[in-house]
Amino acid sequence: MMVIALGSLLPVRAATDFAKYHNYDELSAALKTAVAAHPELAKIESIGRTREGRELWAVEIANRTGTPVDSRPALLIAANLEGDHVIGSELALYLADFLLNAYATDAAVKQRLDHSVIYVVPRLNPDGAEQMFAPVKALRRSNATPFDADNDGRTDEDGPEDLNGDGVITVMRVKDPKGPYMISPEHPKLMKRADPAKGEAGGWALHPEGIDNDGDGFINEDGPGGVDLNRNFMHQYPYFGADAGRYMASETETRAMLEYVLKHRNIAAILSFGESDNLIAAAGRAGTAAAINLIDFAEASNAGARRVGLAVDFGGGAGRGGFAAAAAGDESTPAAAAAGARGAQAPAAGGRGPGVQPATTVNAADTEYLNTIATKYRELTGLSSSGYTRAPAGAFYEYGYYQYGVPSFSTPGWGLPAGAPPAGSATGAPEGEAVARPAAPPVDAAAGRAGGGGQRGGARGGPGRGAGRGAGGVAGAAPPAAAVPEGIDLRLLKWMESEKIDGFVDWTPFKHPTLGDVEIGGFKPYVTVNPPAEKIADLGAGHAKFVVYLTSLFPKIAFAKTEATALGGGLYRIKAEIENTGYLPTALAQGVLARSVKPSMVQLGVPPESILTGAEKTNSIPTLAGSGGRMAFEWVIKGKPGTSIPLKLVSQKSGTDSATLPLK
Amino acid sequence: MKKLFKPTATLVLLTALMLLESSGLSAQNTAAAAAPARPAADWSRTPTSEPTYKVRLDFNRWHDVADLQADLRTLEKAYPKFLKYISLGKSYGGRDIAGIILNNPDTGADTTKPAMYIEANIHGNEIQGGEVCLYTIWYLMENYGKIPRITKLVDERAFYIVPSVNPDGRDYFMHGSGQGARTGHLPLDEDNDYLFDEDGPEDLNGNGVIEQIRKYVPGQGTHRKSAADPRILEAVKPGEFGDYVLLGVEGIDHDGDGRVGEDGPGGYDPNRNFASDWQPNYVQRGAMEYPFQLPEARAVNDFLLAHPNVAGLQTYHNSGGMILRSPGAESIGEYPAADVRVYDEIGRTGERMLPYYRYLIIWSGLYTVHGGTTDWGNDTLGILSFSNELWNVGQYFNSPELKEQQRDPESVIAPRVANNFFNDKLEFGDELTEWKAFKHPQFGDVEIGGTFKKTFGRLPPRFMNEELCHRNMAFSLYQADEMPQMAIGETKVEKIADGVFKLWVDLNNPKVTPTILAKAALNNVVPPDLLTIDGKGLEVLAASWVPNKWRPGVAPMIDQKDLKRIMVRNGHPGRTIRTVQYLVRGSGSVSVTYATVKGGTVRKVIALQ
Repeated sequence: MMVIALGSLLPVRAATDFAKYHNYDELSAALKTAVAAHPELAKIESIGRTREGRELWAVEIANRTGTPVDSRPALLIAANLEGDHVIGSELALYLADFLLNAYATDAAVKQRLDHSVIYVVPRLNPDGAEQMFAPVKALRRSNATPFDADNDGRTDEDGPEDLNGDGVITVMRVKDPKGPYMISPEHPKLMKRADPAKGEAGGWALHPEGIDNDGDGFINEDGPGGVDLNRNFMHQYPYFGADAGRYMASETETRAMLEYVLKHRNIAAILSFGESDNLIAAAGRAGTAAAINLIDFAEASNAGARRVGLAVDFGGGAGRGGFAAAAAGDESTPAAAAAGARGAQAPAAGGRGPGVQPATTVNAADTEYLNTIATKYRELTGLSSSGYTRAPAGAFYEYGYYQYGVPSFSTPGWGLPAGAPPAGSATGAPEGEAVARPAAPPVDAAAGRAGGGGQRGGARGGPGRGAGRGAGGVAGAAPPAAAVPEGIDLRLLKWMESEKIDGFVDWTPFKHPTLGDVEIGGFKPYVTVNPPAEKIADLGAGHAKFVVYLTSLFPKIAFAKTEATALGGGLYRIKAEIENTGYLPTALAQGVLARSVKPSMVQLGVPPESILTGAEKTNSIPTLAGSGGRMAFEWVIKGKPGTSIPLKLVSQKSGTDSATLPLK
Repeated sequence: MKKLFKPTATLVLLTALMLLESSGLSAQNTAAAAAPARPAADWSRTPTSEPTYKVRLDFNRWHDVADLQADLRTLEKAYPKFLKYISLGKSYGGRDIAGIILNNPDTGADTTKPAMYIEANIHGNEIQGGEVCLYTIWYLMENYGKIPRITKLVDERAFYIVPSVNPDGRDYFMHGSGQGARTGHLPLDEDNDYLFDEDGPEDLNGNGVIEQIRKYVPGQGTHRKSAADPRILEAVKPGEFGDYVLLGVEGIDHDGDGRVGEDGPGGYDPNRNFASDWQPNYVQRGAMEYPFQLPEARAVNDFLLAHPNVAGLQTYHNSGGMILRSPGAESIGEYPAADVRVYDEIGRTGERMLPYYRYLIIWSGLYTVHGGTTDWGNDTLGILSFSNELWNVGQYFNSPELKEQQRDPESVIAPRVANNFFNDKLEFGDELTEWKAFKHPQFGDVEIGGTFKKTFGRLPPRFMNEELCHRNMAFSLYQADEMPQMAIGETKVEKIADGVFKLWVDLNNPKVTPTILAKAALNNVVPPDLLTIDGKGLEVLAASWVPNKWRPGVAPMIDQKDLKRIMVRNGHPGRTIRTVQYLVRGSGSVSVTYATVKGGTVRKVIALQ
């Protein structure tokens, strides 16, 4: 069963041009062309429409003759939830193209499309992705939903400007005695946060390229858009984060995706392409272990914009009813809240426990399955070290596992050469402890101004409640002092140098209208998260092998044995045994826990009163282990010779089966 | 005891007055009969002491969805200037989620005023809030121009009132088998047989009540008739045998799986589908697959997002007599102290307005609720949010003396038998169904009955509903009145040098609720209050908050880049006057504006001289 003739995979010549990145119109055309060339295998539909009027395409790939498609186990391939991650779209497009073209010649692919189905949603955030093709490129993960990121009562009023006219938004560095950054001793093009403990001094401040359009002292803190869709799903949702949307599943794209997977409950595995990774890195949830990087430092540096005008300005107010007395300062500390909270009435006697808590780690019973698959992923794709990644919070693939309950993966789809191990460290830094996001403290006066601002940014939740609130961070926290593995900035730069990739703008002087003499430079947007287009085909081929492998693992449930024995007097003993011959169980432990994978059902087609003893007429099986897991049922019924008894087996993600037992 | 005397004394006085009045009348009548002919006084022309109502509505009966909507239309027709009938959207079953915008256009558009949002009946079976909503609209309109405080309230505030958020559930309750059904009507497969809503309860005997089924099994059962009251079926003690077994609720096995009534309509909790602290099904039963998946919750949310001027929220539920506030779960943590003080002030006042009601926090006083409406209102929309659980069965015996009697277990109104006593003596037995023989397709000869009607227990008796409506309305109007309301108070101009002035402006919110709740400020969910100053050629040299204008001292500087547009992210606290000081260079006059999202916008022109 598990033997897959991977060697037989011939390189399939794709009709689509994979030496380029496709904008929305090109992607739409490529999808439609591929589908039109294989009408018997592919269907395309729009599952939603973005704010800017682009369709969200979903392609269903299966040989539709035979078992109804929605009763077959399915793989969902989803990409481009982060708008800047366009390589994901290309890989999804490649995979769709591959499956359609290989069906005719490749036995394994034929088997998959005959017995299962693959859904491809190649670009969930087309409004965001389109920015990669804009005349001036500014890295944008978010969709086009207007959002008042700094909550100043004005929306999208302070976006970037291409000051030096080079077509890309990069970084400005400016000499500033208060600036916490220094030129990296590792590489003169890079910046690092000075570590006073090592006797280092800063002297540079960093800002994203642009001007302070709204005169609030922050640069580019509220640009166009929007919501990062991979921060908008419900598992460990980063409440009130600047890019997480106003609330969970607030976005039309998010809801389109949710409605799609809920409509297709036969989806038995999810492969998503994005900026989080649980396939390449063994640890699963590692983020980028770097003290600062030039790719997304702006998020943290502008966090202070959301704190301007908060409490500390008020000396005490001139209250006359007591409501102003404690309006300043102390409110957000738990102690103050508790002291002030005479509450309503005391908790009822007996108290109420915290109840069931949402799972935040992979269920032990599922670990082996997920690890096996990840190991095979690395083998088949040849990827062993990821590049720029982010720790997930509100990510789609985490919803896929923790709430939807199926094996669910995310990969950037490409990698960088591994960084040098940290100097002076025997074991290397534990990757799992990587910070959720580079916590670069506010760059300018905000740090001094906000006073207790850092603690005000604290997460809403109590213990165990997820990954905090995005860009808040604790102001002034120093990066981990020692044993930091080679930072992503340096790895990217080395890779660009070795591959001759034009991905870094050298620092060049510029006269900034308010900052004065600055230098503009840094990584070009999109180059850090998307490899050169000529790599797409190779990466696609590796992922094609993985998809063929992954779709071989689906649970497959069927009656292994049925029998009806006459006991005399019109009584019959009915036996049925079901078996899961697939590799995966019919439901992961998390799927059972989350009650999101429906139990499989064995139903005996007789009136309930004719069952004299044995099993129920209708039986639910929460999960059945794979690789030959079996379960037996037995009934004694009253029946008529010459009639026959139908048996029905229905499963959400592992197919259906039926049997008919003649009574003799 | 001291407390008790007051109302009693008042009652005695009232009774005495009434007696006097009636005896006076009879004396008059006697005199009239004896005296020579004199034309009888024609009282019909003098104004009555009672108000005359333009619209007559019933508050002693329960309205189905059509009744509710018809009454809303009637009110709209009678008061077209103030009322606008709206639909927030369609329910899953295609019914309108109808509401009323109540606003006096002469004092501004509704969206420019702090607004109170009042809804009810998100749980299908919790219907009486619908009548409270109806009563509220009716009362405000009938008394506008008659009771000055009502007139003022209507002039200053806008109201959005939605009597039934779950019209499918309401009609299922009113007309169908929806006894105890909180759910909406999106079909779910509760019994995992890959069929949806295929086996619900069934009113087999057609008396409008989903009753219990019992079977008479003398000497082998688990229950017996109570010696105190044969209508009560009581469980026997361990080791004993009774004469009856219970066979579940009234219904049949529709899907032939051997089970009865195991997959009825819906099967979720519409009030767990909101996006604050939403948790998946396995943590919060009935939450559905994602927040705002349900069309009803989505419609409510769309409406609230489109009306950021909403500063107060009330969602009526039943029952138990509670004034509830969030948080719904302990893990969220108690709200900031400033917010707690506001909730406490309003909640405790509510306890005095609503006898038998207690002001409680949801998670500690009731149970844990993830993804409820009030958490959504408070945490993500920045709206001060309450949920009243209407009606407490204690109100059946609403006097201190009767309450005392209920403590005696032998009393005929002891809690065990109280409902029966009330039903017998006050409802003439109408609320309890009798056990009647029935031939059941699966269970054979059984008896069906022994059940209080759905209108009993969680709903007040009809004759007591008007009081429930009025008291709860009064509480919501009190909350509405205490929504923030900004004003500019005293101003002072001092000439420092030629063309340079020091300007003091008092900003006042006399109400209990702040313009921005502390939690909302922490979550950054309400745009900051904006203090702006304009004038021809005006230059603001500095701006400060004055700590105490009666006690000279250094005013701390406002450290913001744009002093013509000062952001006040925490908003303006309740019952507080703040003084802002400007040092300006300019001439003529300046206009100072304090703009809030939830407490109105005020402006004052001040001459620089």
